[in-house]
Amino acid sequence: MRWWAAVAWIEQLLKEGAKLVDEIEVFYAEGKSVSADLKRRNVNLAVSSADCGLAIRTVRKGRIGSSNTNNPERWMECLKAAIASGNLATPQAWDGLPCPAKGPVTDTLCFDPALATEPQIASRLLSEMLEGSKEHPAEVTSGSASLSSASVTLANSSGLYLTGRHTGVSVSMEAIAGQSTGSEFTQSCFMDIDPHSVGERAVFFASRSVGGQDVLTGLYDVILSPIAYAELLSAVYLPALSGRNVHAGRSRLATRLNEQVMDTRLSLYDDPSRHRGLGSALWDGEGVPTRRIDFIRDGVLTEFAYDLRTAYRYGKTSTGSAIRAGASGGTAIGNHNLTVDGLRSDIARKRAIYVHSVIGAHTANPMSGDFSVEMSNAFWMEDGSFQEPIRSAMLAGNVFDMHNKVDGLSSEVRQIGSLVLPSIRLSGMQVIGK
Amino acid sequence: MNLPSGVRYYDLRHVTGHVTLIDIDNGVVESAGTSFFNKALIRVLGSHGWGVLEIDNFNPGSKRKMGGLIQSATRLAAITRQDVTIADAPHQALAVPQMQEDPREVDLEEKTRLLASVEKAAALPGIVNRRANYIERFENIAFTDSSGTEFSYEICRSGFNILAVASRNGNVQMGYERVHSIRGFDLRHREEYGKKSAERALSLLDARHVRGGRMRAVLDPELAGVFAHEAVGHASEGDLIQEGNSILAGKIGDRIGNEWLTIVDDPTLPEFGFEPFDAEGVEVRRTEIIKNGIINSYLHNRETLAAIGNGVPGHARAMPGEPPLVRMSNTFIENGDASLPELMEACRTGILLKGSRGGQVDPGRGIFQFNAEYGYMIENGESAGLVRDVSLSGEILSTLHDITLCGNDRAMHPGYCGKGGQSVPVSDGAPHILLENAVVGGSGMD
Repeated sequence: MRWWAAVAWIEQLLKEGAKLVDEIEVFYAEGKSVSADLKRRNVNLAVSSADCGLAIRTVRKGRIGSSNTNNPERWMECLKAAIASGNLATPQAWDGLPCPAKGPVTDTLCFDPALATEPQIASRLLSEMLEGSKEHPAEVTSGSASLSSASVTLANSSGLYLTGRHTGVSVSMEAIAGQSTGSEFTQSCFMDIDPHSVGERAVFFASRSVGGQDVLTGLYDVILSPIAYAELLSAVYLPALSGRNVHAGRSRLATRLNEQVMDTRLSLYDDPSRHRGLGSALWDGEGVPTRRIDFIRDGVLTEFAYDLRTAYRYGKTSTGSAIRAGASGGTAIGNHNLTVDGLRSDIARKRAIYVHSVIGAHTANPMSGDFSVEMSNAFWMEDGSFQEPIRSAMLAGNVFDMHNKVDGLSSEVRQIGSLVLPSIRLSGMQVIGK
Repeated sequence: MNLPSGVRYYDLRHVTGHVTLIDIDNGVVESAGTSFFNKALIRVLGSHGWGVLEIDNFNPGSKRKMGGLIQSATRLAAITRQDVTIADAPHQALAVPQMQEDPREVDLEEKTRLLASVEKAAALPGIVNRRANYIERFENIAFTDSSGTEFSYEICRSGFNILAVASRNGNVQMGYERVHSIRGFDLRHREEYGKKSAERALSLLDARHVRGGRMRAVLDPELAGVFAHEAVGHASEGDLIQEGNSILAGKIGDRIGNEWLTIVDDPTLPEFGFEPFDAEGVEVRRTEIIKNGIINSYLHNRETLAAIGNGVPGHARAMPGEPPLVRMSNTFIENGDASLPELMEACRTGILLKGSRGGQVDPGRGIFQFNAEYGYMIENGESAGLVRDVSLSGEILSTLHDITLCGNDRAMHPGYCGKGGQSVPVSDGAPHILLENAVVGGSGMD
């Protein structure tokens, strides 16, 4: 495999770098993927992609430089660009890149050897999804299936040399019935997804939303599905837990450490070792071993997330929260499998408005947490089942404050990207009718 | 030209370039450096649909190598079942507008110093964080296709953002300014934007929440531009029409707004969404989506034009190394003839809304949401009291009838638009407009 052929130039790059700077870190990723897209019920497009990315970071007297390219043959130029960028950076406290630790040097937590990036498999996933879409009366408008596989290498001048292998599969479908739309998706690192149910759910939401009624403006009990909850949490809550934002004054939680910030029956933690979690990892993007991070324990804020740079600067310890975005990305503070846990109850028994997803979550105010969004696939829910659909209404509130109005969490959870979330029932939420 | 067996058409779009980023956070230069990239996309139209190769680090190489890649893409196309045809379209390339000052002639140190002075200008009392970013992205695009089209161009998009955060007793507010263009280096003497972002953040500490409900609203050019983009632009994209996922499907010739209302997408304008030709090498043209209140034209690529007609091709756009989709470029509401004081007078009692963090639309359902950063309540034609975080939602088919006055002060604002996992540079614009029956979402209880 080319993966192993990469080793020679990475070692040369480390050696060259060591002559020029105090420390150097090299991240190299190589991957391939196939995908196929539906237009209505037929495959319109099949894509095969081969990508690679090299990211170099250098440290000299506390000045951190970085550069990246998807052209590894130009590693020398990339190294020079990294050093040049370091020359302009403000020096900071720096206590070294991580050294090799005991334990495995290859991470395969998110790797399925049985997952093959073959167009015929993408085609089969689409067929299964289309089968599922026959269960309810709605038209499929589009759909997609993709399979990917990647190898990564992380090495530094302290002797760290780690590799990892990742695989992924995802499918999605959109459907329409009259003027009601519905969509569904799923994603896994393993060949364990159920495309049939994705197709079924997409047409279910489209067809079940037909004939929606208006709702009067007022305060209502609202159940956010894991999707709607994820949209709001990612826009607002996650950035507020980043140590960098906290120390920079960009987090509303900055001054609340050891205080109660949400309902005491709720906890929020990052669990990098979750079985088959989409973000599971033995170490983070800088090679720091990952660990569970209890951000909020029984409603009390106990910890923030740190990478090396932020930890060294503010006298903290890295929480193993450095995440690499894409093949040629640098690192940023993020999370692995962020989990909301706590009081479980039968949240769908008493009448409430169920919101499957929202339109415009990214327009929430990331500092204050205020949002007002349009609801998608909203229904009255009672006795555990969907009742009358709601045609159109807005939902307004504050992502931080709504965690003090929690009436319970569903027992089933769903993984959406790097989040593991239940449905959440909130009381007295502002709904604006049309 | 002789095409290999089973191939009806192919094209190659090869993009190389570099990106310079500077990030200054509370006076600390976090990073200031350059990265470079090389991506290509080969598309083959097989006997049914498309086979596509996305290639990182592409080396054009020999004819034989290209032949091999076309064969691989053709094998992929074999799993497609939809019978795709592509319409004939004129191929022509516009000249890229010249930059006033080429950013390559300014060294990184000077750029960093200039950005730092914008960032410093936001350091007013009460401001707890300032963050300034500079971005400069050079792209060299080379396009060839099986009919002999061969175009290339270089374009640079550059600019900066400044964010100021104000905090008081747990109330955290932000002010945000951005300046981006294709017209070259524009970072000198821009301290006013730093100050403006800080003043906004501070004033929002005292702003109220708006009480949700229906009201009359005056939208500023930036917000009205986002409105045009979400309410009309997306739903007119040919691929969504083709999929049956737009409420505007089958509605060409229908009246949707007042007779003086015209909404346009124009990639030829020298604004942030400018393209000299589209991602299929097709000539770009001004497209009047709504003309005098009537639904006039969809936005198309070659495939969607062939499939559904009623519109103009030249709207295929793609990120480097990604398949082209039908996209907007520079989208705007044409000027009317009202002045701003006339609009305010006509509004009497309502809300004046400014700035935007964007919006989103469900084109099949015909419902959109967009957000204003702040606004002023209007009483008797005068502003009265600042409000913050105002979102609006609307229904595509009815909302344009509610534009009852259009100003004469159109301005364009740069931004990025996401679709299908791809983000492309666009601009949106409008004059000030008066919108009746706006549904405002707010949690204010007073």
